[in-house]
Amino acid sequence: MRLLAIEDEQELAELLHRALGRAGFAVDLAPDLAGAEDHLGVAPYDAVILDLALPDGDGLALLRRLRARDAAVPVLILTARDGPEDRVAGLDAGADDYLVKPFHMPELVSRLRALLRRPNAALGLRLELGNLAFDTVTRDVLAAGSPLRLSPRETALLEMLLRRPGRVIPREAIEQSLYSFDEPLGSNAIEVLVHRLRRKLLDSGVDVQVHTLRGVGYLLADPA
Amino acid sequence: MRQPARAGSSLSARLAWRLAAVMVLAVGLAGAAVGWRSIATIHSLDDAALQGLARSVARHLVRAPGGGIKVALPPALAVRFRYSDGAMLYLVLDGANHVLAGSDPAAGTLLAPFLPRPPAAGLFQVPRAGHDAPPMVGYLRRDHGLGIVVAQGREQREALVNSLMSDFMVTGLGLLLPIGAAAVLIGVLTIRAGLRPLRVASAAAARVDPANAGMRLPQAGLPREVLPLVSAVNAALARLERGLTVQRRFAGEAAHALRTPLAVLTARLDDLPEGAEAVALRRDADRMARLVDQMLKMARLEGLPLDTSQPVDLRAVAVEAISDLAPLAIRQGIELSLKDPAAPVPVRGNHAALALAAANLIENALAYAPPGSAVEVEIAPPGTLRVLDRGPGVAEPERARIFERFQHGHRPAGTSGNGAGLGLAIVAEIAAAHRGSVGVAERGGGGAVFTLQIGRPVAGG
Repeated sequence: MRLLAIEDEQELAELLHRALGRAGFAVDLAPDLAGAEDHLGVAPYDAVILDLALPDGDGLALLRRLRARDAAVPVLILTARDGPEDRVAGLDAGADDYLVKPFHMPELVSRLRALLRRPNAALGLRLELGNLAFDTVTRDVLAAGSPLRLSPRETALLEMLLRRPGRVIPREAIEQSLYSFDEPLGSNAIEVLVHRLRRKLLDSGVDVQVHTLRGVGYLLADPA
Repeated sequence: MRQPARAGSSLSARLAWRLAAVMVLAVGLAGAAVGWRSIATIHSLDDAALQGLARSVARHLVRAPGGGIKVALPPALAVRFRYSDGAMLYLVLDGANHVLAGSDPAAGTLLAPFLPRPPAAGLFQVPRAGHDAPPMVGYLRRDHGLGIVVAQGREQREALVNSLMSDFMVTGLGLLLPIGAAAVLIGVLTIRAGLRPLRVASAAAARVDPANAGMRLPQAGLPREVLPLVSAVNAALARLERGLTVQRRFAGEAAHALRTPLAVLTARLDDLPEGAEAVALRRDADRMARLVDQMLKMARLEGLPLDTSQPVDLRAVAVEAISDLAPLAIRQGIELSLKDPAAPVPVRGNHAALALAAANLIENALAYAPPGSAVEVEIAPPGTLRVLDRGPGVAEPERARIFERFQHGHRPAGTSGNGAGLGLAIVAEIAAAHRGSVGVAERGGGGAVFTLQIGRPVAGG
């Protein structure tokens, strides 16, 4: 996995280089827009970490040029700008994720992994969290090293949760994606479904947990 | 030393008074002038009339066959002398001033002492003894060796002057007073109308605040006299706006300036080997980061106009805030939920600000709720959002104070208490921006209930 981190703060760039390197990424650093363009011109990257306030311009300009060239590379904006309108501007310009400084390195790593897992990204096939793994093509679930048999609905629910680990999946979103199945959905169908999935995961020794936010949705959290 | 400005003296009242004074003075002066001129005119007319009278008497002199003189006045004139009650007299004299004839037996005795020596002719004064009446005016005419004297009392003149003056008073004042009143009225109305744009500008000035610093006072229709003041105020507003813009930009610059070193610090701490020390340092850095975050949010809320007119669903606001804080709640082993049934609650407000307020209320609850307890969010029409916890609650004397800046509730041992002291102040600020309120009460069975109330429900929603 090769990443380009565009960050003008030298120390932060080096810390990114080291921490992401430990997480298994190969990281190139660019201190400004010009350096970033040079790197993007010669090497294919799997993802880009983009600071917005750069010495030679706004990172959003680079992002727009990138999207104008039809580059599909996932871009995560890492910035000190935290206003709602800044987020909207970043996402509108074509960013895939937005993280505000200061941030925790594990969160950055897990967001980068999530970006790389997205359907269009290079690694869209295998979703992993803790000792749970899911192959999005063969639909096989591997729990604590051994195969786990789940119903198609349970599998679909697990995939939704695994695609956005650590974040709340709204009830409505789950309902909508499950409507596509032939069976009609009862009033407490989702509760029953979540209960069954939770039971099976627990029984198979999985260390990730499905949390309920009553009235809102569900969240899959890793053991840490 | 500068004189203190007289407050409350109205321009139109001042104008009205002065105009009225000028009008009264003008009417008085005009009356005096007219009176004086009329008296002079009457006098000269009167004198001419006296000469005419003497001429008339002279014309009707008839020489009697015995050498005497007889006066044969036409009846109209004779009647005037006869019924004048002594105020109109004539005498006919010979060359030696002996009386040949007279209108009245008394005329000779009355006039004789004043008769001028011949050949003088003209006007002379005739005092009247015995009463206060003004002197009579006499006139001597020499004609064919005879002297004709006529005299007339002043009563008629006075009467004429009086009647002229009262004519002037009635018709003159009757005309001048309405004209004066009209002038005063027109002056006041002109000032009123001229100052109306100033009132519009004042109303606009009353609405100027940091939230609409781009506003300027309207200059259209302003009289030239006050235009310099209004354009100076507008120039001052423009300078203030520039200052405000600089200050607002400072919030953004401060964000970058503070967050980048904090990001370096956080990344470095994340790089430390695990241990009690690393955990403590990370917690400190997180707290500092939160303080910076809240200060900037506060600055942004104060500095920028908040559009609170968007249609917002309080349920969506609650769901968003709960989703954002779910990982924190899970880490703390606290069950976070939205109370059923939660139908959409449409309000007018600002989605981002309300989500921030809800998140701060939930964060506050999570900071005080013991592990294993539940924090519930409840929404209700027309615009209520409640956050209920099972923490220690808020003591009565602190219930108002905790919404002030940098104030904490007493933190019981065992709760995380990582607030920076601005979270609830931000909620109060957002509530105020929505013409709403936030408050805390005791919860039955223990704990606290924070209630955010939004002012304006959607009409008909």
